[in-house]
Amino acid sequence: MATYILKRIMLMFPTLFLISVIIFLVLNLAPGKPTSSSVSTEGTQDSKSTEARESYRIFKEQFNFDKPVMFNTRFMLTRADVFEELRVLGDFARPTCTAANTPENCLPADEKPKSGRVISAQDVIEDWGTYVVPHLIDIARTDARIDIRKLAVNRLAVNAKRRLLNEYGKNQTDEQRAYNREVGAENEMVSNWTATDEVTLPEMEALMAEKWTPWFESHKDRWDWDFGDKASMMFFDTRFAKYWGNLARFDFGVSHIDKRPVLDKIMERLPYTLTLNFLAIFFAYLFSIPIGVWSAYRQNSPADRVVTALLLALYSLPSFFVGLLLLNWFADGDPFGYFPTGGFAGQLPAWWGETPASTDEMTTIEYLVSASYHLLLPVFCMTYGGIASLSRYARTGLLDTIRADFIRTARAKGLSETMVIIKHAVRNGMIPVLTLLGTMLPALIGGSVVIEYVFNIPGMGLFMFESIFARDYNAIMGVLLISTVLTLFGLLASDISYAIVDPRISFD
Amino acid sequence: MEDIKQAEAARIAARAKAEADFKSYGDIIWNQFQKYPLSYYSMYGVVWLFVIAVLAPVLALNVPFYANIPEGVGAANLAGIHFPWFTALFDRNFFESGLDIFFNMLIFTLPLNFVIWLVLKKSKGELKRRDFVTMRTRFVLWSALGQSIVFTLVYLGGFREPYVDWITLSGDSSVSTFFPLLKYSYRDVDLSSVILDPDFTHWLGTDREGRDVFTRILYGTRISLTIGVVAVAIYTTIGVILGGLAGYFGKWVDMVVLRLVEVMICFPTFFLILTLRGFIDDPSIFHIMLIIGLTGWTGIARLVRAEFLRLKRQDFVQAAIALGLTERRIIFRHVMPNALGPVFVSATFGVAGAILIEASLSFLGLGPATAPSWGQILTAGRETGKDVLILAPGLAIFVTVILLNLVGEGARDALDPKLRK
Repeated sequence: MATYILKRIMLMFPTLFLISVIIFLVLNLAPGKPTSSSVSTEGTQDSKSTEARESYRIFKEQFNFDKPVMFNTRFMLTRADVFEELRVLGDFARPTCTAANTPENCLPADEKPKSGRVISAQDVIEDWGTYVVPHLIDIARTDARIDIRKLAVNRLAVNAKRRLLNEYGKNQTDEQRAYNREVGAENEMVSNWTATDEVTLPEMEALMAEKWTPWFESHKDRWDWDFGDKASMMFFDTRFAKYWGNLARFDFGVSHIDKRPVLDKIMERLPYTLTLNFLAIFFAYLFSIPIGVWSAYRQNSPADRVVTALLLALYSLPSFFVGLLLLNWFADGDPFGYFPTGGFAGQLPAWWGETPASTDEMTTIEYLVSASYHLLLPVFCMTYGGIASLSRYARTGLLDTIRADFIRTARAKGLSETMVIIKHAVRNGMIPVLTLLGTMLPALIGGSVVIEYVFNIPGMGLFMFESIFARDYNAIMGVLLISTVLTLFGLLASDISYAIVDPRISFD
Repeated sequence: MEDIKQAEAARIAARAKAEADFKSYGDIIWNQFQKYPLSYYSMYGVVWLFVIAVLAPVLALNVPFYANIPEGVGAANLAGIHFPWFTALFDRNFFESGLDIFFNMLIFTLPLNFVIWLVLKKSKGELKRRDFVTMRTRFVLWSALGQSIVFTLVYLGGFREPYVDWITLSGDSSVSTFFPLLKYSYRDVDLSSVILDPDFTHWLGTDREGRDVFTRILYGTRISLTIGVVAVAIYTTIGVILGGLAGYFGKWVDMVVLRLVEVMICFPTFFLILTLRGFIDDPSIFHIMLIIGLTGWTGIARLVRAEFLRLKRQDFVQAAIALGLTERRIIFRHVMPNALGPVFVSATFGVAGAILIEASLSFLGLGPATAPSWGQILTAGRETGKDVLILAPGLAIFVTVILLNLVGEGARDALDPKLRK
């Protein structure tokens, strides 16, 4: 038995790996990045948007969006590549020639780059980061066009910045802090070496000679890569590698709404969702098996037909619809106000007595009463669909066994009918129903989004929903991962229970 | 000599009798299906829903079938007799989305198809069975092709006439018009009649933007049915291809597909759908269909794989392999048709499921923003706080879903040889 469980747990790891790969692919290759789109469409040459631009850059850095997805080949970039992007930016800033008016240095309208290309050029150079600093220095020193040189210098002021260590992590070590202080000072210094719009050639030469060239010469070894460096850049300075590095440390990153660690936020909400789901599964099994057995025992009688039809009708009722109606009719006080309108706990039924000001002041009993008072409607909404489908399975399960020879034997040896059904038929017939436990869990967790939304229960579903709206990349990733892990354990539990109940299954 | 002739005649007679008695697999299933009255009538219910979806503009549109405008009323060039309803069906002023234009086209092509179908059915007794089947296949293919061409032309044509406000125009007493039963469009905002109670003009009242809710539900039939059918078509295609490959070829293909299915099962489907939805800024119903289609294929793939594994071992497939038929022929003529029965059943339930998923998405405010889908009407109704506006779309969803589920139940029982009498 222990070997069997161990084997099943070992098998979970490749599945988990594939799951994380799929989540990664979904989040990275889906159309549209999970970035706030308002930021990315701004930020052309416009000087007003410098701040927005910077915050967007920091955002990208923080969530590793500046890295290439799978393979990093940026060390192979040439001066020509960098120049091409800069040229697009430079050409965009040049005046347009018209028939009447041809200002100096103008460009015909059809040769001007499209705005989409300009935005992408800006993003591309920004994302290249420190990899292209040598090329930028080279362009800024020697290029023929002054506007390109100016752009290159201004790009340098951003691209030459180095990343801090563990910048967004919770706890930095002293070593990291010292390093960060040093890098921070250098970044600060570098970011001031920019050129204004009206810069002249001599001023430019002076800026390069006084500031940038000495700085570059003294730090030249940073861009002196050997084969090992390049290989590690190729595979490890990528989004995929960073993602994996973080996952291995159980670090799902911080939520970008309130900068709190995603894992903490999920763990806060998980108990609510789990309570809801366990109650739903428990009640679904509690009611469905007797119903299924009963209707199988009276197969094709009018009563069986009616129950079957009723269950099918229940199965077809959308849970949010039922939830809304229950809320409207039994919670809003119009016409009835029997139940609280939402939340997980907090109110006590009127017949119980005074409700304390907050849940912290409640005794355990009071808290339990309050929670069940709150959860009655949501659990009902999550349960009835399960009852409908499970009792169908229970019915077929029992129908399969009730005709078996061992049932006839049991009757023949004179057991009472109740005994035959309960002890012999039900026990064997319910085995397939038990295996459904594992498959029910993902459906219920998914379905709890709607119920949590209707009844305003602060569980994982509602968190997922809010994260989708806020495009909180890390939170979405975390919720998906945690819910799949939960499902994996659900499947494991159902396999194990299957193995325990059914002696025909061997443990090897 | 005489003997030979007699034998020949007897042979021909026997063949004719055999042909008359012949029942294809489809016929057997169909006969069996008719024995479940609830499912059988539900199927007609689904057909009627489809007809209602097609005929929505006949019941409700803010354009008259016929208008006679005397000189001096409205714009100068409008004088005379008009039949604006027929052009409005394809006018971008009234119907923007391709979906609506497709259904509007069906108003004209569907009766035509129906007549041809009836003629074909009549000729069933006179034609040889094989000829009849060929004709039927040809008819289905040609009519599908013809309608897609017509639709593409109409849609790409982007027909648009100068807008005429027929409702205001009909207010003039000298103008004679003949409107559809309800004079509302499903999307025109009317701020003078916001959140009205149900009465004889607005059968289910109006929503916060003054749009007639009954009209919206009527047009919502189109959205919900299309989303259900197309999403399921997408995932059935994916599932059949992957499952078929895995089941027929086995070995590493099977391994890969099974691993993929295993991984996909672990995701709560609705979370995955929400995630994918999160990346689309302004989803149309086609995005929603695609999302549901891309996440729902695992069940079908497992089903088809199991069927292929089962069928591959059966004698008739082994015989086909022994005869040296091409792989393509074996798969498409011998294995696939026999594997599609359970897929059809699963797809019927799937349509119901897809409609529910779309409704849940719309309910959360994540569905197609402008389309009058039932879930969206329900959310909009919730904001008004009127029970009618929740009940009506909710019941529409419920009725559609239960009809589809009943059809699925019947089909499942009909396909089960154990239950065949």
